[in-house]
Amino acid sequence: MLEGLETICFKIISNVGGARSSYIEAIQKAKHGDFDGAGECMKAGQEMFLTGHEAHFELIQKEAQGEMVGGSLILIHAEDQLMSAEAFKIIAEEMIASYERIVKLEEKLSSK
Amino acid sequence: MKRVYLFCSAGMSTSMLASKMQTVANEHNLPIEVEAFPDGKIGQIIDEKHPDVILLGPQVKYRYGEIVEKFGSKGIPIQVIDQTDYGMMNGEKVLKSAIKLLKAAK
Repeated sequence: MLEGLETICFKIISNVGGARSSYIEAIQKAKHGDFDGAGECMKAGQEMFLTGHEAHFELIQKEAQGEMVGGSLILIHAEDQLMSAEAFKIIAEEMIASYERIVKLEEKLSSK
Repeated sequence: MKRVYLFCSAGMSTSMLASKMQTVANEHNLPIEVEAFPDGKIGQIIDEKHPDVILLGPQVKYRYGEIVEKFGSKGIPIQVIDQTDYGMMNGEKVLKSAIKLLKAAK
C-alpha cells in the first residue's frame, strides 16, 4: 500500500464528509425559510468538497503516472463519501430552489 | 472505566480514529474505553452501554442539534469532532478534548 494512503483517505473523508453535512444543513435551513443561511452552508460545503476532491485527485494522478496506489477498504469508503457528497450537493440545490418556491407561494396565499 | 463513544455515518473511518485514541489512552494508562458506532445506533447504544462522552464525526455534524435535543437531557456531553483533527487522524488531540468534556461534566 502506498505510504500515507491512510492519511490521504482521512483527508478526503473528513473534508467531503464535512461538505455533505453542510449540504444537508443547507436543506434544513431552506426548509425554515433561511435562504441566506442555506447559501452560506452551500458555499462552506463547496470549499470543503474541493479540498477533499484535490486530495483524491492527488491519488488519481499518482496512479496515472504508474505508481500503484493500491486498493483498500478505507479508500473505497473515502470514494463512497466523495460520491455521496457530490450527490447531496445536487439534491440540496434542487431542494433549496423548491423551498424558495414554496415560501413564495405561501407568501402569496397569505397576502390574499 | 469511562466510555468515550464515537458516532459517524458508517462507523468506519471513526473506528480507525477510535483505535488510535485507544492506543494513546492505553499508553498513558488511562481507564478509558474508546469505541465507534454508526450514528443510526446512537439511541440504542446510549440505552445499553451508557457512554460518558459522545463524539460525532464531522460527517454527521448536521445531526448535532437534533441529537442534543433528543439525548442532551441524559447529561452526557456531546461534541462534534474538530474537522482538522479528524482529517489528520489526531487521536491524541481528540482524546484530550474528550477528557476535557469528562472533567467538565463532573
